[in-house]
Amino acid sequence: MTSAVTPADHDHAEPDAVARSADGGLLVEGLGVDYGQSRALFGLDLAARGGSALAVLGPNGAGKSTLGRAVAGLVPVCSGRVWFDGQDITGWAAHRVRRAGLAYIPEGRGIFPGLSVLDNLRMAVRQLPSKKARETAIDAAYGLFPVLEQRRDQRAGSLSGGEQQMLALGRVLVVGPKLIVADEMSLGLAPLMVNAVFDGLATAREDGVTVVLIEQFVHRALAFADDCAVISRGQVTWSGPAAEAGPQVLEQYLGAAAGPA
Amino acid sequence: MIQYVIAGLVLGGIYAIASAGLVVTYRAAGILNFGFGAMAYLIARFYYFLHSQLGWGIVPAALVAVVLAGPLLGTGLYFGLFRLLRLSSPLVKVVVTIGVSVCIPPLAAVLFGTEPILRAPGLAPEPVQVFLVAGVPVTMDQLIVYAAVIVVLVVGAFVLLRTDIGLRVRAMVDSPAMTSLSGTNPRWVAVGVWATSAFLAGLAGVLSAPIIGLAPTDYTLLMAAAFAAVIAGRLCNLPMAMAVGFGMGILSSVLQFLLPPGSALTAAVVPSVPFAVAAIFLVYNLLRWGSVDENDGVGGALDLAITPQGAESLTGTATSAPPGGAARRRWSGAIPSGAVLVVVALLPLVLPNFWVGLLVAGIAYAVVFLSITLVSGEGGMIWLCQVTFAGIGAITSAQLASVYDWPVLLAVLAGGAIAAPVGLLIGVLTIRLGDLYVALVTLTFGLLMDHLVFSRDVFVNGGLGVPVDRPTFATDDQTMTYVGLAVFVVVAAAILNLRHSTTGLALGAVRTSPAGAKTVGVPVVRMKVVVTGLAAGVAGIGGALLAVVAGSALPENFLTLGGMVWLAVLVTAGFRSVAAALIAGVAFAVVPGLVLVNLSASWNQLPPILFGLGAIALAKNPEGFVLQNGRALRDMAMRSIGRSPAGHPRHPAMTTASRAAPVAEGPGPVRVATEGRRSVLTETGERP
Repeated sequence: MTSAVTPADHDHAEPDAVARSADGGLLVEGLGVDYGQSRALFGLDLAARGGSALAVLGPNGAGKSTLGRAVAGLVPVCSGRVWFDGQDITGWAAHRVRRAGLAYIPEGRGIFPGLSVLDNLRMAVRQLPSKKARETAIDAAYGLFPVLEQRRDQRAGSLSGGEQQMLALGRVLVVGPKLIVADEMSLGLAPLMVNAVFDGLATAREDGVTVVLIEQFVHRALAFADDCAVISRGQVTWSGPAAEAGPQVLEQYLGAAAGPA
Repeated sequence: MIQYVIAGLVLGGIYAIASAGLVVTYRAAGILNFGFGAMAYLIARFYYFLHSQLGWGIVPAALVAVVLAGPLLGTGLYFGLFRLLRLSSPLVKVVVTIGVSVCIPPLAAVLFGTEPILRAPGLAPEPVQVFLVAGVPVTMDQLIVYAAVIVVLVVGAFVLLRTDIGLRVRAMVDSPAMTSLSGTNPRWVAVGVWATSAFLAGLAGVLSAPIIGLAPTDYTLLMAAAFAAVIAGRLCNLPMAMAVGFGMGILSSVLQFLLPPGSALTAAVVPSVPFAVAAIFLVYNLLRWGSVDENDGVGGALDLAITPQGAESLTGTATSAPPGGAARRRWSGAIPSGAVLVVVALLPLVLPNFWVGLLVAGIAYAVVFLSITLVSGEGGMIWLCQVTFAGIGAITSAQLASVYDWPVLLAVLAGGAIAAPVGLLIGVLTIRLGDLYVALVTLTFGLLMDHLVFSRDVFVNGGLGVPVDRPTFATDDQTMTYVGLAVFVVVAAAILNLRHSTTGLALGAVRTSPAGAKTVGVPVVRMKVVVTGLAAGVAGIGGALLAVVAGSALPENFLTLGGMVWLAVLVTAGFRSVAAALIAGVAFAVVPGLVLVNLSASWNQLPPILFGLGAIALAKNPEGFVLQNGRALRDMAMRSIGRSPAGHPRHPAMTTASRAAPVAEGPGPVRVATEGRRSVLTETGERP
């Protein structure tokens, strides 16, 4: 079962970690991250079984985005290990992690605002081996989100917030990732656009892609996910099946605001 | 007139190529390369070595020097050096590239010999063919420059806009973090960018050799002029920078035509053109945008979020309060500094006269260096013209003492008093500029002063400088050493006191987080302006002292490019510590003496290379060697008397948080509190 490990069972044998992160799964053990002199994560443990969806919830400043950045290789890890798809990816550079199939869509907009929509997609599909595969992938993005084709020569930064997230999602989906870490993708979007984002992620999930959803829309995220991990002050404070994350759990860890809504 | 425009196009073309080389590394690799001029010189000198000294043909020599050695130099510098600077503070980046610029000319002298070069051929076969175009003579060299500019423009635009490599470069410019998240290795993009930039440096260098000759300072000056075009392009607009480069070249040339030939006015106005251009664009941008910051529009929120911010990244961990509170902080600073002071004070009693003569100059340098400690260490600003303030102090005190018969020591103080308001003025003018713009403006100001003031006959006095007599009681070096030391102690004490005062606290706040300081109501502008004024005053006093020690105020000792070496030396020792300033000053004066006495004349290029390498070493150790070794020594001493030197928490956030949520640390290499420094090292380096 996928529920996050407790600090007690750090002494995994390696084969166990390989097995638990197989098929595009993610396993994070004792992850610690510093920003300069301040510490953001303290021995965080987390697991997402291959093909499942995990919702990562937590208040502002809990370390959710730091978790995403550390897993993606953007910020250095100072302790602990990260396993993905049966491999130990701790300390890998971001581009290597991406090429291994772990796609991180950062908070804000995961796009190049100064490049055109087409150039954004070109950058995304560069990792595909053949020219043919790249062209097919760009067409697939236009198929997923037709608005992108209409705006192909427009500067990505001038798209609307929803369109930018479609581009960010399209950039990731068409390259066939094994795992998507989506960081606050619905933040600041109109409700219809939030639907579009969740639809996109659901498509990926149907294709067997593991999804780690870092979200503020707690109920939306719980409805989407199989499992749930609540982060507070740089640690996982509760984890279990999303269905069991009842009002008490949420209220206890996220405060009253996350209660019945 | 047409003839002047055509000649101007040549200079403009060289400016354009140089500014392209500067902008491309700044935009895609985040480093404004102050060593660009020196790199151009090195390649041009290598071409001369191959072509004129070894007798190679033009084509093979140009191919090997520009097409092969240029990109190799860039690639080597990237892997050896610039790679380490990815997350460094602006100050470290600037000083490291200055270190490159200090290192390269003496290195070239070692590699290629030191005989003076009277005339350097260009890429055109000798004798240079001259064509008549519409009645105007155009040389083959000029035609080659035009062709090179056109090729660079066309190929550059094509590669950037139409190729996969260009796409990657544009992506890096937009957001390095997103580039790596897209699965592209930013390192290879950076290698390509540095290779290209070094190629452009070499091209600009070889093309300008027939025009400006082969003296390293002329190259650095030429490239400093290209900075004006870069400023006009707001550090990132490539077409704008190149266009302004062209314009500057034509303007200089046409002005030469319009102004009376050979007059003092022409000699003053023409070299000032790039600086006037830079000033006009800065004022325009300030009026239009309210402030000019190099961070505008560069990278995204994500890039900012994963870059260490504030003082820890600007100046190394030493800026954060040492553990143990104010009492311990005073104690830990005063004892080692005092020990250094005592050692230096004893030296004149034991050393032979020759060395005391060097020592006394070293102490005067140390006073000037304190001004850098003040403006960069305390104020957190990158100023490249402290040497100019020293020069102002020197020539002022010489005038007052020799022409107006003031008492010498009073004249020295007056030198500081004159320099201070100038510094204050520059401080006020640059206050709304980003770090790099401040560095560029102060560099520009220094070069302008070199041209307009320091070259005047009143001050040059036929190459001798205006004489200054030492005070009657201190005519010997030994007594003068103590006079200098007394000045040093007073200034150093003032700096230490400032550091521990409320003002110092406010400055620390501004350094750590300008935005945070503003939020809690610290008057950022006033704090910075106060420091610039004080620092200029200190530099003025130090410069005047140098003149007194040397016996005359020679303006050529205070040229801006020489000041780059001063900065390199001080920062090598450490720019946060007054003891480091003293050590740096003494070393700067004594090391060349040591080399002179102990090694043969062929080694006389060694000191500048060492000074440059020291600044380069900053990439690895942003604190400077004095602080680093000082701390190691102190820890060792403490350990020997049985007190734990490192048992106090240096992760304030960590302690509070772990109190709130106690947790066992995970396995693996946990970086714990013992070494605050290590975390900085890891951040400045690449990820393991």
